[in-house]
Amino acid sequence: MTLPLFQAKGVTKMFGGLVAVNQIDFLVEPSRIVSIIGPNGAGKTTLFNVFTGLYAPDSGSVTFKGRSLVGLRPDEITAAGVCRTFQNIRLFSNMTAIENVLVGMHTRVTLAAWDVLARGSRFRLAEESLWRRAGELLTVVGLRTKANEVARHLPYGDQRRLEIARALGAAPSLLLLDEPTAGMTRGEAGALMALLRRLIAEFDITVLLIEHNMRVVMEISDGVIVLDHGEKIAEGPPAEVRQHPRVIEAYLGRRSHA
Amino acid sequence: MDFALLLEIFPQVLLDGVILGFMYALIALGYTMVYGVLEFINFAHSEIFVVGAFVGVEILLGLKNAGALDQLPPFLVLLLILVAGMAVSGLLAVVIERVAYRPLRGAPRLIPLISAIGVSFFLQDFVRLIESVWRNAFNLVYPGMEGLNRRLELTATVDVPVKALVVITASLLMLWALHLLVNRTKLGTAIRAVAEDQATASLMGINVNAMISLTFLIGGAMGGAAGVLFGVQYGLINPYTGFIPGLKAFTAAVLGGIGNIPGAMMGGLVLGLLEAFAASYLSLLTGGAFGAEYKDIFAFSVLILILIFRPRGLLGEVVRERA
Amino acid sequence: MSHAAGVLVLLAASGYAVSIFPHSILAFLLFQLSILALYLARMRPWLKTTVAVLALCVMMPAIGTINGYYLEVATQVGIFAALALGLNIVVGLAGLLDLGYVAFFAVGAYLWAIFGSPQANRVFGGGFPLAPGWFFVFLLVGLTVAAVTGVLLGLPVLRLRGDYLAIVTLGFGEVIRVLANNLDKPINLTNGPKGITPIERPPLPFSPALLPGVAPSLLYSLYFYFLVLLIVGIVVVVNRRLENSHIGRAWEAIREDETAAQAMGVPLVRSKLLAFACGASFAGVIGVLFAAKQVFINPESFTFLESIGVLAMVILGGMGSIPGAVLGATVVTVLNLQVLKGFSLWLNELRNAGTVVLGYDLANLPTQLEPAKYERMVFGVILVLMMIFRPAGILPARRRQRELAEPQQ
Repeated sequence: MTLPLFQAKGVTKMFGGLVAVNQIDFLVEPSRIVSIIGPNGAGKTTLFNVFTGLYAPDSGSVTFKGRSLVGLRPDEITAAGVCRTFQNIRLFSNMTAIENVLVGMHTRVTLAAWDVLARGSRFRLAEESLWRRAGELLTVVGLRTKANEVARHLPYGDQRRLEIARALGAAPSLLLLDEPTAGMTRGEAGALMALLRRLIAEFDITVLLIEHNMRVVMEISDGVIVLDHGEKIAEGPPAEVRQHPRVIEAYLGRRSHA
Repeated sequence: MDFALLLEIFPQVLLDGVILGFMYALIALGYTMVYGVLEFINFAHSEIFVVGAFVGVEILLGLKNAGALDQLPPFLVLLLILVAGMAVSGLLAVVIERVAYRPLRGAPRLIPLISAIGVSFFLQDFVRLIESVWRNAFNLVYPGMEGLNRRLELTATVDVPVKALVVITASLLMLWALHLLVNRTKLGTAIRAVAEDQATASLMGINVNAMISLTFLIGGAMGGAAGVLFGVQYGLINPYTGFIPGLKAFTAAVLGGIGNIPGAMMGGLVLGLLEAFAASYLSLLTGGAFGAEYKDIFAFSVLILILIFRPRGLLGEVVRERA
Repeated sequence: MSHAAGVLVLLAASGYAVSIFPHSILAFLLFQLSILALYLARMRPWLKTTVAVLALCVMMPAIGTINGYYLEVATQVGIFAALALGLNIVVGLAGLLDLGYVAFFAVGAYLWAIFGSPQANRVFGGGFPLAPGWFFVFLLVGLTVAAVTGVLLGLPVLRLRGDYLAIVTLGFGEVIRVLANNLDKPINLTNGPKGITPIERPPLPFSPALLPGVAPSLLYSLYFYFLVLLIVGIVVVVNRRLENSHIGRAWEAIREDETAAQAMGVPLVRSKLLAFACGASFAGVIGVLFAAKQVFINPESFTFLESIGVLAMVILGGMGSIPGAVLGATVVTVLNLQVLKGFSLWLNELRNAGTVVLGYDLANLPTQLEPAKYERMVFGVILVLMMIFRPAGILPARRRQRELAEPQQ
């Protein structure tokens, strides 16, 4: 039996009187892809923001590799091995693609300010290996040829993939992806799924995924968690969750509004 | 320490503080209204204030040279310079927004702020340039008006100059009019809607650009009025006069909760009183070690502390961070 | 090749022009332009470096011996370049708008002014001024104290949003100025508005007898010119090294998107404090030098106007751009020291000569119209126009284009 890599227990987050996320429990085992689905406003991104330290939960616990993440700053959580992408792409838009990845690698840098000023061999070696690694990560997401392009000039799909490469820079064990296929064509989404599978195999990574594209979710996930109005309404393997009456209700209900 | 002295000057200090407070309140309105709508510190507002003061002094000097100043009833003259100062300052604010801020809407928030600092500096020397060419002097003194310099003796130690009463009355009237405009009229509702959510307001058929211009017009006019009253009250003005009162009025706006109109009025009064008391009592209480010069430090310290510990101000709501 | 030739011709011509017309502003401007051309020219790196060293270390001092005022201008440019480079880290790289930057300059300047003059005797009894050699120690003291001041200010305020941070730093700058103005009582630390003088200058590294025929005042001017050049050189190198490292990338990431930067593992407060401390330390060092060079300082040199002047330099050159900061410092300083002043003098001459232009007798020009006093207008116009038309500056920060090692298929 594998130990859970990541566990949320009773996580609750309120904004004023509004309960955005209510008593969420779940766990993620290593080397899996777990998807969080649910209608807009179900609290998916809020949950990510709590996990990555942007919001403090009102109650509940979040543990990663047996260590509590609650109360840590976002950068400390990243250093601990949890890194994310953003739903509305948030690249460093005036920096080049490879510089974006290098910033993602910030927690992996062990140089002191003195090394930077002295610019000795220690600095040069470290910097060289950083750039090499960043180049490799760009290769993984297929952006190597665009390494020197300024992020905001990249096409939309490339920006999404660059965000993933940037997050991979932190060498996370757990990668949180917030709607990585949003706005992508069918073909692009397919390629991205292949990429995710490769990451899990090659990088020993676990993925927590927020996704609207049901085709992607059903095809790639080992487990699915369904949120609605901040509550967890279902959890299980994709095939099971698809049959769940409350899930059908939540999704049909949403469709009838649309 | 001389308690009798402290007590004796108390009413006078209180009066000074109230006058100063209304002055800050009037200026603070310009900062707070613009911030409420655009989330932007209109750094040039202190110069809009100064321009009002210069319009006032120019008209008074013109009347004086024509020999008409002593012929006209002082309150009519006062009304004239107030209206003129408000009109010029209000229009100037609208022009500044149109030229230096509107092209930058949507840019990172520091960009329009830097532009505003530029406008502020430009206007200081522009006023100096015009006055140097026109009068060959830029440190100007408001000519005294007979009727306004009389003092009403309340007690043996406290007397109130008529002009102080005029300043207070005019400020109160203007704050009240603004309150009515913003809260009781359709235009006011539209401005508040734009402040709340520009996109939605625009969908509701509100002309957002027009409302932003109107905001600058009103805020600028209030600043101009404050400039005229400042001149009437304190007499000496120069193109650089606005910086310190501007900074303090901004402090007042922050103190009251930036974006919040009643907050700005309250913040102005509180700061004015604090400063008047600091100026008069600091020296007395420390045996002369720290004089009135420290009143500026006092105001800035208030600003820094408020921003650090209660950035929403005393009456303010939580400021939304624009992601 | 033609670039190199062009630059050399330009340099030679400007040098010749200065020697023929020692008082012509245009000749000296031509020299400055040729240095800019040198920077922009496509030349072999070793050639460029050699020519630059010759121009700055040989030609400029030579020009200074012809007209000492130009040496003063060049030294001022250097001082402001160092300040602009420091502010460039804070504003340009980390995106923190510091409107009270000159406060750190004041800290450095007052440190040496107090201990390098008899002023300290009023507080600590006797024994002051310190020996001139202490100046070099105080360069480090100024650096450290300014950096610590930066951290102390930064700790509470760096959590504020950008525009509030701007206002708080402005307030801090004013507080420092008011303190400098008023700390002549209860203890006389700063001597108030009267300022402090005489401040010790650093000892000459060689005996004046080695250069007979050079006036001692010129000797010191040359000495300060080279000191400033050295400091600017060090500041540029430090700036470049920081910029091209994980530290500089973290600063830029914070400027671009604070939240994302933190989510990628950049510790916000620590990185911002480092930026603040670095910027402050440059200002502290150059402040110590400024005090020694001026021999006299008072609070007038450390006003909000100065802070905005340095900001205008950074904005004009291009936020985040090292050559931009140097260019901005040069242009703004030259505008203030030479163009505005020159215009003033010229206008005065015309006025005194009673020249008539288009039927207007210039003798009637208002005496209060002194173009030299319009620094604020210069700064203001620069800030507004740059923000609207060219927010990236004249020499925008170039993205580093880097060949990736071992390209793969």
